[in-house]
Amino acid sequence: MEHNRASNHAAAFGVSLAVASLANALLVTAKEKNPKVLAFMKGFTGHHWITHCVFIIGIFIVLGWLLTRVNGGTGIRLTFSNLIVILVGGVLLGAATIVGFYLIEG
Amino acid sequence: MKEILLMTHVMLGVACILATLWVFVDVLNASEANDGRIKLISRLSPLAMGLCFLVAGYWYVNLYPADKAIILKGPWPFAHDLFMETKEHLVIVLLLLTAYLPITTSGNLYRNLGARRLTLVVSALIILTGLVMEGEGAVISMGVRMGLLPH
Repeated sequence: MEHNRASNHAAAFGVSLAVASLANALLVTAKEKNPKVLAFMKGFTGHHWITHCVFIIGIFIVLGWLLTRVNGGTGIRLTFSNLIVILVGGVLLGAATIVGFYLIEG
Repeated sequence: MKEILLMTHVMLGVACILATLWVFVDVLNASEANDGRIKLISRLSPLAMGLCFLVAGYWYVNLYPADKAIILKGPWPFAHDLFMETKEHLVIVLLLLTAYLPITTSGNLYRNLGARRLTLVVSALIILTGLVMEGEGAVISMGVRMGLLPH
């Protein structure tokens, strides 16, 4: 039964990756639809794409680390099956949102 | 210099895909004998992708604007509007997937079916996304070529 539960780091960073993928898609739509967001992102590092990368990679690292610390340091409890559903769902939904956005708006 | 950077990022991307494919096949046949090799190769994937990301990022920020202008004035503007726009954002998730791969291989894969399945799923996502990136890169290059042809 214990083998069915994903390890602390696998669960934490898997969920973090799914959230980062969705945040990636949301940030794309936000900066493309709102000139103020795009201007802020350009001003933050000098290029909107660099700022975009910093934010998304930052979300992955910080959220993943925080999720390893919950439940008294044992991390979130997820079976491998649920983790795979969350991970694949987050990655595919994020990718579909980006492709769909540029198909419609591009 | 521009061409060398461009081809270096393509070759590093291919190296990442091949390393991940190696992990995928090895995990299908996971045993105590190949466990060390799986862990080693799974670290080469994010290494290749990280270097690819840095080279491609430098090229995109500093050198791509000239190509972008050619593409947008040519007959294939979608090479930028759809293919480059999706590529530059999807590649961030690809980088995170490769960073996650060594975490999935850190346990005893040959004893744990769930960990093997997770590694196979993450490897498959990396391989498929990597191939999409290579294909999108080809369309972007063709967009530049089409823009340079007399029309």
